[in-house]
Amino acid sequence: MLEFVKILSILILLSAFVLMGNKRINSYIETFRAQSLLIALMAGINGIIMLKTEGRFDLLAVCVLILVLKVIYIPGLLHRTYAHVKYEVEKDFILNIPILISVCSALVVFTYFCLRTLSSIIPNSIILQLVNSVSVIWIGLFFMISRKKAIGQIIGFLVIENGLFVTTMLGTEGMPFIVDLGLFIDLITAILIMGILVFRINDQFDSIDTDQLNKLKG
Amino acid sequence: MNNVIYILVQIVVILAVAPLVNGINRKVKALSQKRKGAPPWQMYFDLYKLLKKNAVVSDVSSWIFKAAPYIVFATALAGALLVPVSSKLAGSQIPGDFILLIYTLVLGRFFMMAAALDTGSTFGGMGSSREAMISSLIEPSILVSLFTLGLIARSFSLPEIMMSVQNNGIPLSNPVYIMVFLAMVIVLIAETCRIPVDDPSTHLELTMIHEAMILEYSGRHLAFMEYGAAVKQLIFMTLLVNIFLPTDQLINFSGLLAVLLSLILYVIKIIIVAIVIAMIEIKTVKLKLFSIPNLAALAFILAFIGVLQYFILGGGYA
Repeated sequence: MLEFVKILSILILLSAFVLMGNKRINSYIETFRAQSLLIALMAGINGIIMLKTEGRFDLLAVCVLILVLKVIYIPGLLHRTYAHVKYEVEKDFILNIPILISVCSALVVFTYFCLRTLSSIIPNSIILQLVNSVSVIWIGLFFMISRKKAIGQIIGFLVIENGLFVTTMLGTEGMPFIVDLGLFIDLITAILIMGILVFRINDQFDSIDTDQLNKLKG
Repeated sequence: MNNVIYILVQIVVILAVAPLVNGINRKVKALSQKRKGAPPWQMYFDLYKLLKKNAVVSDVSSWIFKAAPYIVFATALAGALLVPVSSKLAGSQIPGDFILLIYTLVLGRFFMMAAALDTGSTFGGMGSSREAMISSLIEPSILVSLFTLGLIARSFSLPEIMMSVQNNGIPLSNPVYIMVFLAMVIVLIAETCRIPVDDPSTHLELTMIHEAMILEYSGRHLAFMEYGAAVKQLIFMTLLVNIFLPTDQLINFSGLLAVLLSLILYVIKIIIVAIVIAMIEIKTVKLKLFSIPNLAALAFILAFIGVLQYFILGGGYA
């Protein structure tokens, strides 16, 4: 069981890298969906362990929430929003993809060196998963920086949220249910607002390139 | 004496199985297109036919052109000696490790590229430059993944790596091995000129890499070039199956029967991997040349995550 969680945590990190290497808006959304599915699996496994040891079932409820929200609802919403926007393939990043990926691997090493000092108080297997999930946060942040279109920034935000969720799940063995619920409601609101904003930006500027927001339109 | 037997078995098995892999690959692809296709052993006949023929050599070419096929074949065969097909037989010490293996193969590749440039045809130069690009991109990932395995096994010699993997339970349930395995699959595809990187079955000037380099060859020389490529492909597949899908630990007796059994299992594994690779080729489209760095970056990242997990766990998998 524990071995399986380890593999899942590495796969989540890998999905962040795959996201970084993607160019198409559809594959952004699908990669995010896959990552959320992996996280739901992880929450499910941890939830079963929790149910057996402590009799709490809130992590299982969170798992179902993730399945409904992040695997089905939000990707569907993004697909619907971007059905109207004409950009299919992103061409301009701040750097080219292999360099972006190398920077990401440097970020993973950086995270490792930051968290290495914890090894005296936390067992090694937890540190491995912590490094992976904190790296996902960093990579999500970097993803937001590297993409110029609004969709990249939304997906980056969602990936940061995914990373935060896994980190808290590992760090606290499941937060109080009410906190998780609050986070999810925040997330939906944020995505809805962003979706509307993208719509408006596209309407006003005929493009979702956020660089163009720097220019005034008369 | 033991070493002589090892070398003999190694050469015989590798030379006998290598053309079969290509044949199976072509057959599976033909079946997927609802063609009947040539029988899997067609490449043996092809090689026999080519070996009987004389080679035509351009009169502006130098000795490199004539020497290259033999060098390519010899380096591939020398590399094959370092990758045991059956770890039952490799108990005796083989000098040389995987660094020697990689750079022996690179030596052959260097001469292949030089020979392609030698005749001065446009295709040769194009193929050489592409091959140089791909090989330099893919080399870091293969070295990092093999170094990871070497670190876990605490030895750089391939037989010892295989032994250590066999003693560690199922390798593909271990995160480090999974990452390195995926990296090695991409390396295998890139090194053997399979479809996402290069299409071995076309002679279209825009896409060919390996074929562009051997375009000028004919007869005996072509046979050696193709045989060398097949042996090289088999080396990478052997690495893959014997490290990540070990079966030798299941045979808990020794002697001639054990060696025979492990060789049969080895051939079965190779056939399965050949079919899987053909499936990958059927399912994917060829990448454009400038997307290949992205694939190489993915392979490197997989290997890198593998080595990082190993270090985070403080060698916990040894």
